[in-house]
Amino acid sequence: MIKKDEVLKIAKLAKLSVDENEIEQLIEDMSKIIEYADSINNVAETVDVEFDNINNIVNAFNEDIVLDSYDRDEILKNREGGENGYFAIRKSIRG
Amino acid sequence: MQSGKALGGEKLSKIKYLKNIMETKEISCVELTKKYLNSIEKQNNIINAYVNVTVEEAIKTAKKVDEKIAAGEKLMPLEGIPMSLKDNISTKNIETTCCSKMLQGYYPIYDATVWKILQDQNSVLLGKTNMDEFAMGSSCESSIYGATLNPHNTDYVAGGSSGGAAASVKGNMAAFALGSDTGGSIRQPASFCGLVGFKPTYGTVSRYGVVAYASSLDQVGPITNSVEDAAIVYDCLSLFDPKDATSIGSKISTVDKLNSSIKGLKIGIVEQYFEGISEDIKSSIDEAIKAYEDAGAQIIHFQMPKLHAVLPVYFIISCAEASSNLGRFDGIRYGYKTDSYKDIEEMICKNRSEGFGKEVQRRMLLGTYVLSSGYYDAYYKKAQNLRYSIIQDFKKIFESCDVILTPSVPVTAFKKGEALIDPIATYMMDICTVPVNIAGLPAISVPCGFDRNKMPIGMQLIGNSFEDYKVLNAAYQYEKQTKNIGETSSYPEVEI
Repeated sequence: MIKKDEVLKIAKLAKLSVDENEIEQLIEDMSKIIEYADSINNVAETVDVEFDNINNIVNAFNEDIVLDSYDRDEILKNREGGENGYFAIRKSIRG
Repeated sequence: MQSGKALGGEKLSKIKYLKNIMETKEISCVELTKKYLNSIEKQNNIINAYVNVTVEEAIKTAKKVDEKIAAGEKLMPLEGIPMSLKDNISTKNIETTCCSKMLQGYYPIYDATVWKILQDQNSVLLGKTNMDEFAMGSSCESSIYGATLNPHNTDYVAGGSSGGAAASVKGNMAAFALGSDTGGSIRQPASFCGLVGFKPTYGTVSRYGVVAYASSLDQVGPITNSVEDAAIVYDCLSLFDPKDATSIGSKISTVDKLNSSIKGLKIGIVEQYFEGISEDIKSSIDEAIKAYEDAGAQIIHFQMPKLHAVLPVYFIISCAEASSNLGRFDGIRYGYKTDSYKDIEEMICKNRSEGFGKEVQRRMLLGTYVLSSGYYDAYYKKAQNLRYSIIQDFKKIFESCDVILTPSVPVTAFKKGEALIDPIATYMMDICTVPVNIAGLPAISVPCGFDRNKMPIGMQLIGNSFEDYKVLNAAYQYEKQTKNIGETSSYPEVEI
């Protein structure tokens, strides 16, 4: 059974805030699923090769050629044009 | 007006038929497009296949196609064919939401490669289709826009996560659809709706611009009325893409190989796939096996004891990758933005907690858990070891057979609300489809009968990596022999 402080720690790592009145249900669901995931540890597996990638491909490096980037205004379009060409968030420096 | 037949009386696949009637000027591309748009308008408020209908885009492309026809130019394989895209495929300047509050109002600034290919073909985009939020689910019920109903019988869901894609084709609201498949999201809704759904070999179709769920498992593929249409679409899509680091593409034309004889084809039956499936499904699959035997195929039986471990392995890997992939959504550059916050940390947490739905958050939490220090070895590393070992098991089986035949799903379509009751019971329903993604193999679901409630049953054929053509041909031969094929050669009978 996963503990409440573990769930809160994981949520912090995942940058999610957990509602106090939903935590009990979440603990119950996560515990069930983790218990299920844990069943893989009952499978006798002697092979100690970690999967890397399906088709055994290796890195292919592109030549270093300068290409056009996206237009700044295009990028800021999803944030109503931003502010002075930047993404804007509210000032939040702690003293 | 619709003959259902063309060229010497032989029934054509839907894509071929539509192309033929446009080329012979029986109907213009604009007229055809309007038929489909009207079909959407008439049905979508009930079926909920589309979350965004792109009327202007569709008419603009259709006009271009009509100009080409007027100039006497030959059409490309998918030119002028009205189709739909799942809402996790990036479409420049067309809203792409993944059916999540997190991305409502997000307009990509670039196109996914698969959409770019279809634009180069002048395929007519009718709209973006409904899906489970970020492709996490199997009934479309986690979509912010609500469930998609099954056009075959609206008491049931269309399946998921590409439920809207399947419903758009089944409801004659698109001639073909593109979906994505991480653990069965193309094959399961195709099976539920009585359609063909093809998940290609990992790496043959570009993932660039497709919003990632689990990158090592995701693959784009078609949902169609017939196997031949699936092969036509796949051949157009399977190009090498330098923008996708895992892209390989394929140089083999699967359409050209569709008429290969299956005499002597070795079909593998893996016992573990048949545990717990319903009686109706079992008897439909048995009939399909018999049909193959009658056609001269050879049946070989195999055991795969590790199949039981595939689901937890899948769950660990997909959640781990999702927690990492979905980390990019901070609500700063695009996406959902909260109203009030006191610092950056709180802002990001609130953007994510308010923007993502419950199932998505649960999977991210589980993914973070299995990757966190102290648990990594017991879960993630162990799952990766088992993944390697499962791939070897498949390789071994394919040393002595050409394709593996299984049910597509252990059950037929659920009724609305049924999938939401128990998360683990719902995950278990993916047992037949998930192993294919774990091993990166090609697999198709084809209709093979109906259960006692007259809901469609799907049969799955799995092939070895890069033998997509074998899977498609084996499915095509079955379809031809049993004539187990839906209505193919028509467009919607809706007044313009």
